[in-house]
Amino acid sequence: MLESFKLCFQITLRNWTVYKKDLISNISPTVADPALIMVSLGLGLGAYVTNVEGMSYMQYLAPGLTVATALFTSFFESSYGFFVRMTYENVFKAMLTTPIGVGEVVFGEMLWVGLKGAIMSLCVGIVLSIFGLMANPWLIPFLAIVGFLVALPCGAMGLLATALVNNINQFQTVYSFIIAPLYFLSGIFFPIEQMPNALRFLAEFFPLIHGVRLAQAIFWNREVLSTFVLHGGILVLQSLFFCAIGFWKIRKKLIT
Amino acid sequence: MMITAKSLTKTFGNFTAVDHIDLNVHQGECFGLLGPNGAGKSTFISMTYGTVQRSGGELLVFGHDPKTHSRDIKKRLGVVTQDNALDESLTVLENMLIYSSFIGIPRHVRKKRVLDLLDYMNLTHKKDTKIITLSGGMKRRLVFVRALLGQPELLILDEPTTGLDPAIRHLLWGKVKELHQQGTSIVLTTHYMHEAEVLCDRLVIMNNGRISAEGSPRNMIHQHTPGYIGIFALEDREKIHNLSSQINSFNAHEDSSGIYLRAATLEELTSLHSQHGLNPLQIRPSNLEDVFLKLTGQELSDDA
Ligand SMILES: Nc1ncnc2c1ncn2[C@@H]1O[C@H](COP(=O)(O)OP(=O)(O)OP(=O)(O)O)[C@@H](O)[C@H]1O
Ligand SMILES: [Mg+2]
Repeated sequence: MLESFKLCFQITLRNWTVYKKDLISNISPTVADPALIMVSLGLGLGAYVTNVEGMSYMQYLAPGLTVATALFTSFFESSYGFFVRMTYENVFKAMLTTPIGVGEVVFGEMLWVGLKGAIMSLCVGIVLSIFGLMANPWLIPFLAIVGFLVALPCGAMGLLATALVNNINQFQTVYSFIIAPLYFLSGIFFPIEQMPNALRFLAEFFPLIHGVRLAQAIFWNREVLSTFVLHGGILVLQSLFFCAIGFWKIRKKLIT
Repeated sequence: MMITAKSLTKTFGNFTAVDHIDLNVHQGECFGLLGPNGAGKSTFISMTYGTVQRSGGELLVFGHDPKTHSRDIKKRLGVVTQDNALDESLTVLENMLIYSSFIGIPRHVRKKRVLDLLDYMNLTHKKDTKIITLSGGMKRRLVFVRALLGQPELLILDEPTTGLDPAIRHLLWGKVKELHQQGTSIVLTTHYMHEAEVLCDRLVIMNNGRISAEGSPRNMIHQHTPGYIGIFALEDREKIHNLSSQINSFNAHEDSSGIYLRAATLEELTSLHSQHGLNPLQIRPSNLEDVFLKLTGQELSDDA
């Protein structure tokens, strides 16, 4: 067990070694995207939308954008990234001749994705809090937990997509028809209470919405503990669920 | 016993890649696995460390079942995979250091172990270059380094010298022999019959997933294609055809480079010259290649 965990960690380290070689270009989209949305929507649209649930539009956007970073970083890493490592770079072929098994490959990647999500959310959160968008900046460290808890199930969904697609272009379909719609339904840009019930129900199965609620609780300093118990719990369950089927499906790709 | 396979079978859908094979690899021996493309060599090899799971039969490696104990097996194994599968995003040194961490080499000895082996394979000067900039031969040597990092008891070489120039091939043969002498057990697949003759104590020839012959290189030649081969120009086809009706101790087949006649003794071949005016292009003792062609059905026929 301990050995297995060490091996997972070595895989995470391997990814970090590769990632840090191109740190600037790797990080810039994850930081630039929320900044862009913040400026265009927050400042632009915010001039007209002046009161969302009793706050400015920027204040409303801040928590959602923080966790969306975790969604994108994790989904892309475990879909495109994992697919390239598996099919084009043959990274796992050599790994699997070492004591590493498919379990370590999958959970090593998940650990990496989770940590990346945590760090990204933390960074975005820190920047936003500097602009005074956080009611209580002492809660910033909790954003790392939220980032981790969102990145895990979203990464596992990416892994599942990797196991199911026939070629790399099909990720675009997964993105356009599943990830992007749910992203807009997760209460980042507007309260979803006015949406049809069927859509709201659907969105509940997507981890992001629970992450958004957690981040909102943290940013706005409202009922932090009880939100963590409920939505944190749901995220843990979703992580277990998606990791289990992701593992089960990707195993068949790596072991024949 | 390093590897024991009994009636080992692997099917992909309704295609049988490995078909009820029985074989043993003994401690300390260099065991060869020959066979045409698609014979099932790599499939067999992948079963020994568990990335391909058998569909039937039994398989034990170091006495463990790879289905349930692949980690215990992989700790004692080094593999030169058929495709290099080097981590292209990393430099030579980074590749090997990360790989060392995977196989559990203690942190403080990793770098020394890697540098020693890079030196052993004459790659020290390349340690900080990217994988993409290495030549095919350098990559192959690096894969050897990777396979040797864990000081394996059993070294598995899947076509280790394919695509390499003769000098590097001889260099690698030297290293393999050295490891063999130090007691490492070796499983080798190759398409170079000469390589198998030079390195292997014992070998099997596989064809369509089955084993068609087994033995030491010398015994196999003795058993399946004893004697000498005379190679004749294609222009002599007529004469040889006429002859073969008189002499039936010859085995003959033809390919684009000439007509091959095999006889039990050298005299029989030389007598063709003195008695029938047939001039061979070349006369040589028969070798493993002749056995291979005969057993894998690529020798056209037994009689001309
Ligand atoms: N994952 C797979 N799915 C379906 N068929 C496969 C798979 N892997 C191998 N095969 C088939 O099994 C057969 C044996 O393949 P294998 O790679 O073991 O041959 P080989 O003896 O190593 O050949 P080569 O000398 O070309 O490397 C081939 O016909 C191949 O197409
Ligand atoms: Mg092969």
